Amino acid sequence: MSNGEHIRLEELELLALGALPEDEAAAVQAHVSGCGECALKLAQERGSAAVLAFAAKQEKPAGTIKAELMARIRANRESEERLALPARLRADGGAALPRLGARGNWWNWVLATAAVALALVSFGLSWQNRRMAAELQKERQAADTLIRDREQIEKLVGVLAAPDTVTVKLAGVGDAANTSGLVKFNPKTGMVLYAAELPKLPADKSYQMWLVPANGAPINAGLLGAGGHAWGNLWTAEVPLNTQAKAFAVTIEPAGGMPQPTGPKVLLGAT
Amino acid sequence: MRANGTTGETTTDWSLLARVGQKDEEALSALYDRYSGLVFSEAKRILRDTGAAEEILQDLFYQVWRTAERFDPAKGSLAGWLLVAARNRAISKLRRKTGKTEDLDENGVSLSIDVESHAAQNLLLDKVRTVMGSLPESQREALECAYFEGMSHTEIAEKTGQPLGTVKTRIRSAMEALKKVLG
Repeated sequence: MSNGEHIRLEELELLALGALPEDEAAAVQAHVSGCGECALKLAQERGSAAVLAFAAKQEKPAGTIKAELMARIRANRESEERLALPARLRADGGAALPRLGARGNWWNWVLATAAVALALVSFGLSWQNRRMAAELQKERQAADTLIRDREQIEKLVGVLAAPDTVTVKLAGVGDAANTSGLVKFNPKTGMVLYAAELPKLPADKSYQMWLVPANGAPINAGLLGAGGHAWGNLWTAEVPLNTQAKAFAVTIEPAGGMPQPTGPKVLLGAT
Repeated sequence: MRANGTTGETTTDWSLLARVGQKDEEALSALYDRYSGLVFSEAKRILRDTGAAEEILQDLFYQVWRTAERFDPAKGSLAGWLLVAARNRAISKLRRKTGKTEDLDENGVSLSIDVESHAAQNLLLDKVRTVMGSLPESQREALECAYFEGMSHTEIAEKTGQPLGTVKTRIRSAMEALKKVLG
């Protein structure tokens, strides 16, 4: 791969284009991250590859996207302003402390005591400032989480409300005949949302949802339980865009799931 | 570049980005107007899905808003970063991979050509289209499979039934032709 100590230009070119297989890309990236010369060349190659974007048919996005973006940043701004820490607790480093006189009279002891007291107060304020900064950081992280949660909720609500979202009722199969489930699937976004009433499984087993396409092998649509993506009682997964679903099924698989179904079906429903 | 951050009639990306770092909404709006078409078109070409491309477009500019102060102009250009980030996100979405989100302070992209005005962008559009149109079909296909489909050279070799070495040579030759346009 490398020519002497550095990565060959053609390898950097392929990496910039995204044409290196993952394992080779990781090896090249590992070298580049510690080599300024190769990082510079890679940046140039990325620039050359990026020009390919100009080969795409040029279209303008809908005007509403910019309006939504500006509304989003205003909401972010307001959220940050609410969390801003008042700047009243800045330590002044004790610059205002009086100097001790040259003569050692009793005032020196009073001033020295006051200086010690001020130093202690200054230390206390500095400690409090650090603690508040740490709390602020936690608040910011919490605000980021809330923003992400809100975006996720908006996405889920969007799928539930979309006119092209398909609803599939799942019925119990075999021993699980008295169970049931519901799937909401939007082919355009690839979002799958589902809920199901299923008995608890042993720790080494998982329920796994499958999208059965019109053609080809079943597609993994996530786990119900540990390892799955849940939103409240709603499980979510994403599958390739524009997949035509023929049916949805839930099987019992080894914990963590399988690439293809191997276990018994417990729920099944046709679109 | 002039001291006030303009080239001719165009305010530079760096000047606008510095203002975005100060939470200037007009500056973000100007950057959006400058690059939204390119970013959206690239994402849509990869995903062939308007909604998904719009989502990438909005998320990228939201990231610019939140992290503008981290961008180091010494590491490359904003336009280059936007185009590479849009491409990577679109490919991740296309292949349903959970790719790492690029930060503004890493993965520098050096764009050796000016794209900070619509006139410059239109000029480059013409040049790139001319080069792509002049490439042999096999070279253009290899390049497009890699950049717009996210295929590795081995996947392209499997798809086209050509030896791996041939695919690499085709990509190399096509990139050489493209680089000549960039000067």
